[in-house]
Amino acid sequence: MRTPPFNLHLPTTVSEAVQISAELRAEGRETDWIAGGTDLLPNYKWHLNTKSDVISLARIEGITSVSMTEIGAMARLSEIADGGEAHPLIAAAARKVASSLIRNSATLGGNICLDTRCFWFNQGEDWRSSIDWCLKCDCGTGADCRVIVNQNELCVATYQADLAPNLMVLGAAIHLAGPEGERSLPICEFFKLDGMTRNVLREGEMVVKVTLPDEVGQWQGEYQKLRLRESWDFPEAGVAAAWRLGGDGTLAELKVATTALESIPRLHDQEVAPIIAAGWSGEESITALAKAIQQTVKPVNNTAFPPNYRKKMTRVMCERALAQLSIN
Amino acid sequence: MAADEHVSMIPAASKVGWSAEVNGRGFGDEIESGAILLDVLRDQVGTLGVKRGCDMGTCGCCTVIIDGVARLSCLTLAGEAEGCEITTVEGLATGHHLAPIQEMFSECGGSQCGFCTPGFLLTSAALLAKNDSPSDSEVKSAIDGNLCRCTGYQQIVESIQAAAEILRSDAKSKDGTAAQMDPHPGLGAGDAGE
Repeated sequence: MRTPPFNLHLPTTVSEAVQISAELRAEGRETDWIAGGTDLLPNYKWHLNTKSDVISLARIEGITSVSMTEIGAMARLSEIADGGEAHPLIAAAARKVASSLIRNSATLGGNICLDTRCFWFNQGEDWRSSIDWCLKCDCGTGADCRVIVNQNELCVATYQADLAPNLMVLGAAIHLAGPEGERSLPICEFFKLDGMTRNVLREGEMVVKVTLPDEVGQWQGEYQKLRLRESWDFPEAGVAAAWRLGGDGTLAELKVATTALESIPRLHDQEVAPIIAAGWSGEESITALAKAIQQTVKPVNNTAFPPNYRKKMTRVMCERALAQLSIN
Repeated sequence: MAADEHVSMIPAASKVGWSAEVNGRGFGDEIESGAILLDVLRDQVGTLGVKRGCDMGTCGCCTVIIDGVARLSCLTLAGEAEGCEITTVEGLATGHHLAPIQEMFSECGGSQCGFCTPGFLLTSAALLAKNDSPSDSEVKSAIDGNLCRCTGYQQIVESIQAAAEILRSDAKSKDGTAAQMDPHPGLGAGDAGE
């Protein structure tokens, strides 16, 4: 299916990008940002919520840097994965995203802001027309959600990106720029539990960069990803864990986050806290934590694998991610 | 068609001037503002070796090399590739001499029906330009975005390794002034690629 026509804008600075977006919206036109295009363009080709104007961030200078404590929104995933500059956990997670060809185009900002996915939504136009559309792309018909029917309020499309949970466990902050100026917030507060709103980005606001705390080098971690085809697919479930060991080699801090199980990635501090409070006992604690996290996540039936399997695998992957802590 | 009922009318996109260096030659034309590079290469530049497979970034048949990096042309905006050096499969051979990677794909059975071959050739060419002695696992992860439904990939990996070997021995014994034998003597070198 051919991409519907749109006007492309190629600003060279962040302020120019924000200004173009504001001007277009003042004229009553709708805009989308495009970073690497590996998520937006397939959606456009399927005629999913297309806009008349698209603002490319590709020419903007100064937002492609990769270092231990700062990654620009337009840093390519291939650079993050193989450049040797990013935190090892972020690099390993980036390496697990899609294929090498996709990673050559895909970016950090695009990955964080990935549109939520659902097998009632990510389909061709004729297919969606045959089921009378769905809430996320209702084409003006007021269609209901096809996954959880008769509610017509909440989109439960799944957030299937890999980097966000890893950034969460490392305590990252996300920096935004928009018509009302710049702001930054912890990445945990960036996401909104609705498959359509997805995050706190306001109209005309864009992601500029992600920063990590100075002491991030002391943190180690592991990311486990469940997918259909090892070399290519979106995560069906993902567990990121990061920890810091104290001077005596015992566990000092632990963070666990999951992705691809709900409309947002989620940090599991609530499940981790009681286990740590009870005293870390290696394997036993891991089993208890993995079980607690399995019980918290609420996948729905809208991706390739059934929700029960994804839930069970969340426990398994949690145990695998934490295996290195089993001796402590 | 059902599509007429709900797709909001989007005004026709504006046309913009576009130029790039495709296979070593400058190309300039007017394109639609939001045009996809794959469409421009096939419909305007005329490099039909760039294949439209899935058009969604899954199959890798549309791979081209943009400024040294293998990219999916179906997911690249032409506007973003403006002024870049673009290599398609047509640009791999030197005159009538196939590039080592092409030579070896034909030698080792790396190509069967051939539809995915341009994509594989460019992905491998980009890999070999950076790394002329890749391990098998490096080769496999480099081609993980290209699908082939004929070969089962084994011959493709062998072809790439064979080409890497040629490149390594070329690098050792390269004498830029040595005459190469023309594989198609009757054709004359001047009209290559016309």
